[in-house]
Amino acid sequence: MTLEVALLFLQQGIASGLIVGSVYALLALAIVVIFKTSEVPNFSQGEMVMAAGYIALYLLVFRNLPLWIVMPATILAAFAGAALFRRLILNQVARANGSPVNLVIATLGLSYVLRGFVRQTGFGDTPRSFPPVIEPESIMIGQASVTTLDLVILATAVVVMAAFFWMFKYTKIGRAMRAVGMNPKAAQLVGVDLTRIHMIVWGLSGAISAIAALLISPKVLMTADMGSIVTLGFAAAIVGGFTSLPGAVVGGFLIGIIENLVGLFITSRAIVLAPFLAIMLVLVIRPQGLFGGRVEIKKV
Amino acid sequence: MADHLLQVQDLTVKFGGLTAVNRFDIAVQRGTIHALIGPNGAGKSTTFNCISRFYQPTTGTILLDGVDVTNMPASNMARLGVARTFQNLELFGELTVFENVMIGAHVHAGQTWRDALSARPAEVVEHVEHLLERTGLSAYRHARARNLDFGHQKLLELARALAIRPRLLLLDEPAAGLRNREIAALDALLTDLCRREGITILLVEHVMQLVMAISDRVTVLNFGTKIAEGTPEDVRNDPAVIEAYLGQEMAHA
Amino acid sequence: MSDKTAAMVSRSEASLLAGWSARGIPLAQIALLALTAAALVVLPFVVTGYVLYIANLLLVFVVLCLGLHLVIGETGQFALAHAAFYGIGIYTSGLAGNAFGWPFPLSMLLAGLIAGAVGVVIGAVALRMRDIYLALATFAFGEAMQWVFLNWDQVTGGPNGLRISPARLGAFEILSDRQAYPVVVVMALLMLLLTIMISRSRLGRAFRAVRESEVAAMAMGVPVRRAKITSFGLSAFYAGVAGSMFATFSTYIHPDSLGFQTTILVLTMVVVGGLGSIAGAVGGAIVFGLISEILRQTPSYQEIIYGLILIVFMMYAPRGLFAFIRDKTGRAARG
Repeated sequence: MTLEVALLFLQQGIASGLIVGSVYALLALAIVVIFKTSEVPNFSQGEMVMAAGYIALYLLVFRNLPLWIVMPATILAAFAGAALFRRLILNQVARANGSPVNLVIATLGLSYVLRGFVRQTGFGDTPRSFPPVIEPESIMIGQASVTTLDLVILATAVVVMAAFFWMFKYTKIGRAMRAVGMNPKAAQLVGVDLTRIHMIVWGLSGAISAIAALLISPKVLMTADMGSIVTLGFAAAIVGGFTSLPGAVVGGFLIGIIENLVGLFITSRAIVLAPFLAIMLVLVIRPQGLFGGRVEIKKV
Repeated sequence: MADHLLQVQDLTVKFGGLTAVNRFDIAVQRGTIHALIGPNGAGKSTTFNCISRFYQPTTGTILLDGVDVTNMPASNMARLGVARTFQNLELFGELTVFENVMIGAHVHAGQTWRDALSARPAEVVEHVEHLLERTGLSAYRHARARNLDFGHQKLLELARALAIRPRLLLLDEPAAGLRNREIAALDALLTDLCRREGITILLVEHVMQLVMAISDRVTVLNFGTKIAEGTPEDVRNDPAVIEAYLGQEMAHA
Repeated sequence: MSDKTAAMVSRSEASLLAGWSARGIPLAQIALLALTAAALVVLPFVVTGYVLYIANLLLVFVVLCLGLHLVIGETGQFALAHAAFYGIGIYTSGLAGNAFGWPFPLSMLLAGLIAGAVGVVIGAVALRMRDIYLALATFAFGEAMQWVFLNWDQVTGGPNGLRISPARLGAFEILSDRQAYPVVVVMALLMLLLTIMISRSRLGRAFRAVRESEVAAMAMGVPVRRAKITSFGLSAFYAGVAGSMFATFSTYIHPDSLGFQTTILVLTMVVVGGLGSIAGAVGGAIVFGLISEILRQTPSYQEIIYGLILIVFMMYAPRGLFAFIRDKTGRAARG
């Protein structure tokens, strides 16, 4: 490989990586916001993305609704669905007298139900394509080739992330969420309604997943199994530090770049392996990721 | 020269910028009951955790019967005859009372694979039954530890510690949360263990009634430093000690 | 003793059912055991080959579940790489037979040992972590292993899968489910016996101590790290043996069935059966194995029903099927 080619691959890898990475960042954010407030790794996050994508597809293609209705409708549906799942199902699981892993298994149950449901409706039969919001035109950034759609994706993702951080840091709801994440009992004592906050957190996570779906669907083939993208979200969250929201964002971009660089410099076969190696390496060398706090020593 | 089973020399523990324990010395004489007291945050638990090897001291030496155990892993202490209880109770909640104590008796069973796979050697069962009787827990032997009431749970933790057949018993606030009747029973039990069986006891405690009643010697810690040491009478009347405790009360008034 | 305590004690005594009480085995249990033994012996003479295939498959699940029970149920370590060790077992015994013509008892032992050895190595690294990090690390390892199965064409056949030639012992070849059945049953029973032995032994108590409180376990002299690695290695050994059992009655294996989905299937069997009890692991394997086989005919319904079962169980029978039944009948008995 010559230096020229290497430089080309590098630019392409970084450019494409940043774009798909912005979606991974959203996904990781959705995962971490739930984990931070309720210590549950949501294994149905990928299926939430998938289901939201299919809802949008249905409304757009089969109901012929215009995009400016479909998008908010999908996001709202995802918000409501996730919030209801938390309220009606997970609350009961948490109340029941079982081990903490039961919550995780309940999320696994949800992932199966969503997948089966989509397959059942006949939608998931064949891979489908999602019509792009704008007609993609090729643009060159340096030596990297991207499309106008790509740039829209990146910009939207960044705006959404910024809005999220603003909300988390400066609004009352955001403060309440942070309080619940740090110490639920104390939060209750100062008047925070735990049930409501958990619902909102899940709803938010659902909404973010829906946005991620709307952004990524035009770029991939939609199938009922596209929820496997969640692995990349988890990889991003781990690399960034599983309890750190800014870490999730940085992790997302990093994973996106690594994924693309691996595909360009090694082989495309190895792309699938990259996130798993990243997870293992990070957890062995520095389990708290880039931004996670020091791993807590148990107080005896 | 006094016979010291436990000697802690020049112990210093720093967490980041905070010095929790500062050049602390304590020597516990064999066959005695020695209490470590001090206001909240004085560094008693930190010291305790160093002695039982759950924390690593920044500097200092810990000698058990003359042997340097400063760097010993915590799980080796049981074999050396050091048993401890925990301030916030660390019972094996889902296991029965019997099983909890059985696990304490592990240390003295053999170390081979055959021993590991053996079920319940008779001598061990007998030893466990004896301990349950001693602590009044025989009737509860098949109850799950987490279902016991608090007083019984504390007794269980003590019984489990005794299953190790310790020569040094480290008790972290054994009387915390107990009612007067239970404290009296604990008094009798601990005195018995020390006087009749020669078990050396080091306890961290806030309940002064117990400390004054059973201790042969008392060491007082404040802000990580030793401020007094002597018989219970000496310490009770020591002006530095009174100020340390009163000072705390003033601050919280 | 107060009434409340007495009630607690009797409930706990009843709960020893799963682990066999020290005093002896009650009559109802002996009857149940005798019935099961009789059924197992008679089965191959009265049912079709397909039913025997199901039986073989369920017995494989039983061994997989017993292995996961040891590491998650007894020791409390959430290791999610089970399918990887299962795969190692299948490929090891398949290849030992294919390429080297080894007799199956030997290849089965080898499968277990190699899987177990890999388990010990991975465990030594992964078990430094706790909870979610351990789960994620082992999950990642499991997926990486599946990638290896898919891409190491020379050994595993890669995306084409691997043809497994019939298991043999001297002149005897296993050519059908009916012929494999006795081997599978004996292996499953041996592994069950091993599990019971371990559970009742000092090693089992050490596992449970680690699960309940690592701190207290350390104070009691239990070598916590060694116990965790032993339990993980054992679970890998079980998975490897289960793989070799599968290889005795299967002619083909593809890496698609050796990923996270399979690990999750086993995990839910153990959790739904009842985490922490041997009966739960066995029961969960059989009940859930049957459900998943029945539903295999209708794939999309399978996923929906499977997911709903998981959710409903987690909501209303959180300690598993057997605990649920025990509670309900116990309550009825006390009236």
